[in-house]
Amino acid sequence: MPAPTKVRIESLGVSLPETILTTAALMDRCRRRPRLDLETITGIRERRVAVGEHALDLAVHAAERALALSRYRAEDLDAVICTSISKHHRDDEFTLEPATAVLVRKAIGAGRALVFDVVNACAGMLNGIAVLQALIRTGVVRNGMVVSGEQNLPLAESATREIRHSLDRQLAALTLGDAGAALILDAATDAGHGIHHLDLVTGARHDHYCRSLPSPRGRGGILLTKARGLQRKGAEHFPAYLKRALDATGWSIADLQHIIPHQVSVRAVRQGVKALSRHFGCEMPDIFLCCAETFGNTTTTSHFVALHEFMLNGRVCPGDNLLLVSGASGIVISHLTMTLDDLPDRYRALWGSGAGGVP
Amino acid sequence: MTRVRIESMGTSLPAWWQRRKGSVAHAVTAGRRCLAASRHQPADVGVLVSAGVYRDGHVAEPAIAAYIQHRLGINIEFQGRATLSFDLLNGGCGMLNAIQVAGALLQSGQAVAAMVVAGEANSDRRPDPASAVARSGAALALELSPRGGAGFGSFAFQTHEEDVGLFSAVVSLAVPRGRLFVRRQSGLEEAWLGHASAAVDEVLEREGLTRDQIDLVVPAQISADFLSRLPTAIGIPAAKVADFTASLPDTGSTSVFIAWQRLCAERRPAAGTRVLFLAVGSGLTLAAATYTV
Repeated sequence: MPAPTKVRIESLGVSLPETILTTAALMDRCRRRPRLDLETITGIRERRVAVGEHALDLAVHAAERALALSRYRAEDLDAVICTSISKHHRDDEFTLEPATAVLVRKAIGAGRALVFDVVNACAGMLNGIAVLQALIRTGVVRNGMVVSGEQNLPLAESATREIRHSLDRQLAALTLGDAGAALILDAATDAGHGIHHLDLVTGARHDHYCRSLPSPRGRGGILLTKARGLQRKGAEHFPAYLKRALDATGWSIADLQHIIPHQVSVRAVRQGVKALSRHFGCEMPDIFLCCAETFGNTTTTSHFVALHEFMLNGRVCPGDNLLLVSGASGIVISHLTMTLDDLPDRYRALWGSGAGGVP
Repeated sequence: MTRVRIESMGTSLPAWWQRRKGSVAHAVTAGRRCLAASRHQPADVGVLVSAGVYRDGHVAEPAIAAYIQHRLGINIEFQGRATLSFDLLNGGCGMLNAIQVAGALLQSGQAVAAMVVAGEANSDRRPDPASAVARSGAALALELSPRGGAGFGSFAFQTHEEDVGLFSAVVSLAVPRGRLFVRRQSGLEEAWLGHASAAVDEVLEREGLTRDQIDLVVPAQISADFLSRLPTAIGIPAAKVADFTASLPDTGSTSVFIAWQRLCAERRPAAGTRVLFLAVGSGLTLAAATYTV
């Protein structure tokens, strides 16, 4: 049986709102300020927030930026898969129909693309990549876009209104940030580059650790998290899947230039590193990329916000071997191994000066 | 490439005492019936896709599919065999999208069997009177076809963005617990009927078939009026179009496969029967797929 077609990230676009909201300012907004130092506990100093924009706008901006870097035009795209959790297109409204991907397709002019939404909590973009990879491998499409726009500020605002004490289950909502990200995938031209292994698994027994739903007390949505339990379960199980992903790729930790964990918080990333050290029985090298300090947890887009940040500052380079690790509510554990082609160079050349001429 | 076939099927419609049964419960009932009829063990299901649009309690995360996986008891622990569960949303066409995606994952060797499920219900305590959703569930077990030629052939999805405003569904977060508003504009059914023929043309062209070679059309059971006008709109005789609108309401994403199960229960189609599934949804999107029994 021939090896399956390898799929690569042909282009990346990230949209970060300009407004910065510090953790201190957010805590000041709380009606009943919890007696804890969230910044010290999480390591999140600030996050970007979309003001006067909605999740759809972030997704569309990211899609436009991805197209600006891509060799494909919007009308060349065979698929647009939208993986946002926050489907806010207007204030205080959550859209179920039409699919957000339809609205993105309309906004960017991808007139012939197959469109649908994939929703799988924070694992959404990796799940979207898995779906698009399967569609490319089976010849249904030749290329496509996975796009997500996350506007989490409404959840944080609900938390500032409703948090009652220092152990409130809405505290995690104060760690969230807003961002959009879009990827264009196609078949890799060089077998050495592209996605080597992508594995997602849902341990549905643990579906109660993190939920997002409308508030029963007032307007807006809320995020309820049993943060310690979620992290404990994640740390218990993800190292074995990570090892399996490395084995399936034929790599060891030493072959990796970078690991991009889900940017839940600086502390959560550190705890993940500790869990790996325990599992592998050795100290982990300094290859973990974390930008949660400045962007917070941008949920589905967090890996690609980190990739954006570390490609621009020159830490991620062409030919680097990357491992993306995600833990999402469900609980969904996902791992993706890939080798980058010249994407970091192209990305820096277009956006490095900060004058990329965004449409 | 090996085709993907429906290995077993289950559906759920509310009995009179189940008027409050939620979308997850309907999807789980349909899933249990599907697994009971299947030769696969629950643990064989490596991919579970939920295509239901309306979500119990308007939960945005986790994926509704995780709740369904949990209640069906499919590989719920992080040990032994693994299942990936996720939601795929595309209005009334979601199940056909999900079948194409689950089929691609099966063909890429990611699992032995996949399940596509959907459950629909308006979970509001006091639903908006204009936003009624007929409660239902449907589940399909999919596998690679052991017999060449049988199973799903081609798919066609056509989205007409110019008509995007004709159908929308939003959850208003301005009130506690949220409230679902489904907005259907006049002219919706005409727009679907107007676009249906093009979707049928596309799928038949891809499959290399003519209209005469289609033995059965199983469309979404939108309304008696819609079904009466559909044969003319797609150029296929009414005798070949399954119409259960006398006994089935429009159940949204589950409609096509509830109708298909009803048809199979009445008279099992012979092997080799060529079926055309036709779903319609917001977007506006029309989805057509060919299937050989």
